[in-house]
Amino acid sequence: MPLFNIVWKNVKGNAVRSLLAFLCVVGVSAFFISTMIISRGTQNSLEKGMQRLGADIMVVPNGAQTDIETALLMGKPSHIWMAQSNLDTIAAIDGVAAASPQIYLQSLYQAACCSVSETFLVVYDPLTDFTVTPWLKKTLGRGLKTGEVVGGAYIFSPTNNGMIKLYGCDLKLVGNLQPTGTGMDQTVFFTLDTANVIAQSSLTGAVSPLEIPQGEISSILVKVKPGIDARNVIAPIYLKIPDVAPIASPQLFGTFRDQMNGLFGGLMVVVTLAWILSAVLIGLLFSMSANERQRQMAVFRSLGATKGYVLTVLLTESSLLAVCASAAGSIIGSFSIFIFRNYFAGTIKMPFLFPSISTLLLLSLWSLILSFITVSIGTVLPAIRISRLEPAIGMRE
Amino acid sequence: MINMQSVSKTFYQEAAPAVTPVQAVNLQVKNGEFVLLTGRSGSGKTTLLNLAAGLIKPTSGKVLIDDANIWDLTDRQLSALRLQKTGFVFQFPSLIPSLSVMENTILPYSFGMKDERHLIQKRAVDLLEKLGLAERTRAFPGQLSAGEQKRAVLARALMNKPEILFADEPTSDLDELTEREIMSVLRDLHAGGTTILMVTHNTELIPFADRIIRIEGGNLVESHPWYQIPKT
Repeated sequence: MPLFNIVWKNVKGNAVRSLLAFLCVVGVSAFFISTMIISRGTQNSLEKGMQRLGADIMVVPNGAQTDIETALLMGKPSHIWMAQSNLDTIAAIDGVAAASPQIYLQSLYQAACCSVSETFLVVYDPLTDFTVTPWLKKTLGRGLKTGEVVGGAYIFSPTNNGMIKLYGCDLKLVGNLQPTGTGMDQTVFFTLDTANVIAQSSLTGAVSPLEIPQGEISSILVKVKPGIDARNVIAPIYLKIPDVAPIASPQLFGTFRDQMNGLFGGLMVVVTLAWILSAVLIGLLFSMSANERQRQMAVFRSLGATKGYVLTVLLTESSLLAVCASAAGSIIGSFSIFIFRNYFAGTIKMPFLFPSISTLLLLSLWSLILSFITVSIGTVLPAIRISRLEPAIGMRE
Repeated sequence: MINMQSVSKTFYQEAAPAVTPVQAVNLQVKNGEFVLLTGRSGSGKTTLLNLAAGLIKPTSGKVLIDDANIWDLTDRQLSALRLQKTGFVFQFPSLIPSLSVMENTILPYSFGMKDERHLIQKRAVDLLEKLGLAERTRAFPGQLSAGEQKRAVLARALMNKPEILFADEPTSDLDELTEREIMSVLRDLHAGGTTILMVTHNTELIPFADRIIRIEGGNLVESHPWYQIPKT
C-alpha cells in the first residue's frame, strides 16, 4: 500500500483530530491571507494612484495636504485654491521638467442636473498635463475635445449612450481609465474649455451654478528633470512661494500610509499570535492522540518499517493537513475579501485595489509555507519521539 | 537460530524504583523449534519475548538471530530482518483501526517487501480464508470480534512467511473453537519448519510445543520437553 494511502486513511480514521487541526489552520490561514490582501490591496492602490498622477512633486496650498490626499484617495471633493501665478514661478525653477495645474470641482449632490452625484471633478490643462493626456494619446490617439470627458474606472453613463450630465450640460464620456482603487476611479476629468462650457450651462440648466474662480488653481503637478533629486526642487519652491506645500511623491498620501502601517502592524501582531496559538493547539491535538499513534507506529516498526518511514508517515500526515487547510484558508480568505472588498474599503476608509492573481498566488504560497511551519512545529517533536521509540515500548505506553 | 546471552532488561521510571523483569537470561532456540514461555503474570514473559524479537533493546547481554547480534545492526538492517524473517503477534489489539482487514494483512508490503501485486493479494486471501476471515476482508478492526482480531493479526504476521514467529498470548480471551483454529495454524506452521516462540498461560497448549520454559522473577527456572514437564 503506498505511503500516501496509509496517511490518507489515518487522516480519515482520526476525523475529529484531523478536522480540528484542519479548521485551526484554515482559520489562521484565511486570517493571514485576508490581512495580506487588504495590506497589499491598499499599497497597490496607493502605488497605482501615484503612478496615475505621474508627478514627482505635488504642490498644494499650505494646510491642504490632508484635504488633497482625501480627495485623490477617497474621491471626496475638496475646495482648495491658490494663485495661478504660482504655476509660472514653479515652472521657472531650475530642475523642473514640467508643471501642470489642476482645478478641483465637484458635481452636485443628488441633483437632477448631474447624473453623477457629488463626484470629484478634475480640470486639467491639456497643454501641460502628464496625468491623463498620455493615456488619452495611447488609447484614443488624441486629446479630449470640448464637451468630452474621461472617467475613472467606476464612472459610467447612466443612460448607456455614452453621455453623462454635469450641471445640466450633456458631456460625452469617451473612455475610462484603468482602476486604481483610489478616489480617482470615481473622478471625472476634463479640460478647462469644457469646464467653462459646463459653468456657462449651469447658469440656466443646474440647481446651482458651477463657479470657477478666475486666476486660481487647486494644485500643481511637477515633474523634475531626469537625474534631478526632487528635494532640490522642493527647497526653492518653499523659498519662492511660502504659502504652498510641495509634497514629494514618496511622501504623498503620508497620512494614509501612517494609518495603514499602524493598522496592518496591529493586524500582523494578531496574525502572529494566532499562528503561535495554532501551533500550540495542533501540538496539543497531536499529543492527545500520542498513545494511539505510538501503538500504531510500534506495529509499523514491528512489521519492518524503518524509523525514517514512521517519521515520514507522521510528517506527511501533518503536511497533508497543512497543505489542504492552507489552500482552503487561502481560497476562503481571498473569496471573502473579494466579495466584501467594497465594504472593507469603505469601512477602513482607505483606497483598495484587489491584488492580481499572481500576487494572490504568491500570498497563498506564503500562507502555505507558514501553515507548513506551524503544523511542523506542533508535530515534528512528537513525530521524532514516536519514530525513535522501541516498538515494545511504543506498544506498552 | 535465536541465541540470548546473559540478557537483562531494566526499566527506569520517574518517581518509582527501577524494575528488572528479565535478569541475565540465557536462552537458545533451534531452527524449527516450537517453544512455549510460561509463568505467572509479571514474571517477565512478554519482556523476554520482546527482547528475543528485537522489539526492545536489552540493558545488558546479547540477542543473536542467525549468529548476528541484532543490536549491532543499523535501523535499516534491523527493520529488514523484521520484515523478512520474523512475524509478531502482540497480546493487545494491534490492527490499525483506519485500515480494513485486507489492508492490515498486506501492511508489511508497504515497508519494502517486494512481490507481484496479484501474488500479495492471493497470499492474503489464502491466509484470511485459512483463518476463517474470508468474509471479513473489507471489515474494519472496530467491526471485528476479539477472536477475529487475533486471527487477523496472525494473518498479518504470517504474510511475510516468517522463519520465526513470536506470539504473545495469541489465544487469550478466545473461545475454545477459535483457540483450536489458531493452534491448528501454528501447528501447521511448525510442521512446515517455522520456529515459534510463544508466551501463554494456557497449559492445554503445552502438548503442541517441543519445549516449555518457565519464567519466574525474570529468570528461566525450568526448561523441559513437554512430555517431561513436572506434574505440579
